[in-house]
Amino acid sequence: MYIKRLILFCLVLCSACKDRVESSLSTSNTESLILKYAKGFSVDYYDDYKVIHILQPWQGASKEFSYILISEEELAKTSFPKNTYDGIIINPLDRIVVTSTTHLPALELLEETKALVGFPGTDYISSNTIRQAIAAGNVRDLGQNESLNTEVLIELNPDVIVGFGVDEVNKAFSTAEKAGIPVIYNGDWVESSPLAKAEWLKLFGVLLNKEKQADSIFKRIEKNYIDAMQLAQQTKHSPTILSGAMHNDVWYLPKGSSTEAQLLKDAHTSYIWENTKGEGSLALSYETVLDKAKSADIWLNPSIFSSYTSLKDANQLYTNFEAFASKNIFTIANTKGETGGVLYYELGISRPDLVLKDIIKIAHPNLLPDYNFVFFKPLQQ
Amino acid sequence: MARIKTSFAFTFAMLSFVLLICFFINISLGSVQIPLDAILEILSGSSAPSTWKIIVLDFRLPKAITAILVGSSLGVSGLLMQTLFRNPLAGPFVLGISSGASLGVALVILGSGLFGGTLALAFVSKWSIVIASSLGSFLVLLAVLVVSQRVRDTMAILIIGLMFGSVTAAIVSVMSYFSSAEQLQQYVFWGFGSLSNLAWDGVGILSVIIIIGLILAIASIKSLNSLLLGDAYAKSLGLNLKQSRLIIIIATSLLAGGVTAFAGPIAFIGLAIPHLTRQIFKTTNHKLLLPAVCIFGAVVMLICDSIAQVPTTDYTLPINAITALIGAPVVIWLLTRQRKMIF
Repeated sequence: MYIKRLILFCLVLCSACKDRVESSLSTSNTESLILKYAKGFSVDYYDDYKVIHILQPWQGASKEFSYILISEEELAKTSFPKNTYDGIIINPLDRIVVTSTTHLPALELLEETKALVGFPGTDYISSNTIRQAIAAGNVRDLGQNESLNTEVLIELNPDVIVGFGVDEVNKAFSTAEKAGIPVIYNGDWVESSPLAKAEWLKLFGVLLNKEKQADSIFKRIEKNYIDAMQLAQQTKHSPTILSGAMHNDVWYLPKGSSTEAQLLKDAHTSYIWENTKGEGSLALSYETVLDKAKSADIWLNPSIFSSYTSLKDANQLYTNFEAFASKNIFTIANTKGETGGVLYYELGISRPDLVLKDIIKIAHPNLLPDYNFVFFKPLQQ
Repeated sequence: MARIKTSFAFTFAMLSFVLLICFFINISLGSVQIPLDAILEILSGSSAPSTWKIIVLDFRLPKAITAILVGSSLGVSGLLMQTLFRNPLAGPFVLGISSGASLGVALVILGSGLFGGTLALAFVSKWSIVIASSLGSFLVLLAVLVVSQRVRDTMAILIIGLMFGSVTAAIVSVMSYFSSAEQLQQYVFWGFGSLSNLAWDGVGILSVIIIIGLILAIASIKSLNSLLLGDAYAKSLGLNLKQSRLIIIIATSLLAGGVTAFAGPIAFIGLAIPHLTRQIFKTTNHKLLLPAVCIFGAVVMLICDSIAQVPTTDYTLPINAITALIGAPVVIWLLTRQRKMIF
């Protein structure tokens, strides 16, 4: 009898808790963030808070993640059952840790770099503004290669960690979550088009309460991209493109549906493997590549090789391509920040318009006579 | 006696014939299908310049010759190690020679991440990898030998070799931890092994190294045969133990170190080929074993490479996976069939 009464009491208590949430937080969804290309996240606006859904944190993710972005006052007024959200983020954010260089341009575009307090592998960062912050000691290095230094991370105690992962297993992230630091997964890299990847800028707009700026910046990028694409389509000539290089015996090139291949198509070039299906990389043998691409007009991004000499030194076989003889090889590997980080890996995802213009400048130099390369450079001698 | 000799001659003739066939099959198979008459025309030098000509003469031919060099020298170095340590489990990998080579290569590729402040991304030159790898393998083998002078038990030597391997692996993993993704990638790919990374100049230098190693091995045949009977007996036969050991070690480090330097750590061949050869020839006489291991290693390597190319598809597989995948079941099958190991 006593136990029954206890259970009943608990039940009443639980339902009371629930009621309290519903009564204090308005549940009327006023609007959602408008996204034109990105499919990996969505944001719902309520009167007093925002809810961010990360739908695709990584390829083939079986669950989605929800985060509530709420002010401290509103949070004090309420409580909600555990596990409703994967993280409670206190709005506004003053201290942010991001984990990929691709997250940094968003902070810079939204003029919020001062919020950045930690980053793993600061040497990879090229941005001048952030390099100054690092020099001034405002950005702590959190270790190397995505194995975050948990102690420094917890000591920093950021308001949010913008992470990324290929699956849910990341020890440093789960320790941080246990310490009460929310980890939000950025899935920009999963998106399937250049503009969709760039649109993740709006996620940072939501986090930093700068939705309007994010929207107008993205619109500008989008317009630049489409204008450049239309400009490129005016030409009749469509040069053939070879990409990548060998790692030992295997030649890696982007597949036909990858964002890299889409950029090549939008620049009105004929990527030799444009008809292959799927994202990610093709792994081909030297014979196949030579057979199909010996006479390709242009060769982009031969891995990390920076000069014709290093290419030839690594493997004599590279010299058999006509693009090698005609010196038509261009690479992103030679445009680096002062500590060696490749600029493309930082800014390339956020600024597809600049990447596209670079490629158009390579393929159709007459179209953009006054434009200067941002990422690409001709291979050195 | 005479009959035994002719039967060996017959086996040798057969093996050489098989080698020739495998060599030709290897050259005619690949991702790009080239008809047989076109290949013959290219090999005879009468064809006009074409993509096919480049593929056959600059890609497949040096690769096939590299396969022969790699197979022969790994087989011989395995044989030398097994006899020197009188241990059937010995081979370049078990005694840490390849770990030494990996350490050397890791120091060159990953070292800048550890010692340099910024992200050094320069592609490490082929020759510095070759030198580092050879030095690393030589030093580790020397260390194993120095320690082995103090212990008499061959099993202890084996374990000491494994320990050296563990230490180098640990150092490599510490260095990996402090390296950039690109350096790490370069190092990992080196570990997959590759036969097609050498152009003709690389093949030339590797041949010179291997020929010197083989000459030293041939010069050691007599001492190898004496060593089979044990150190004491070998001494009583008038063998200068220290000197012949040193020669055998130099030969092995040239052969295994050279191959590892140019083609990466190719697994398994060094351990398996001597066993397979002993099973076929049913002898422990190095006068026969040495050339037999040479030819047999080349044959197996050519077959493995042909499989790794996955003919008629656009793909290739890492050679390192194929050697063990194909080789291990063959050794198991042979040992269970014969029920007796010849060693």
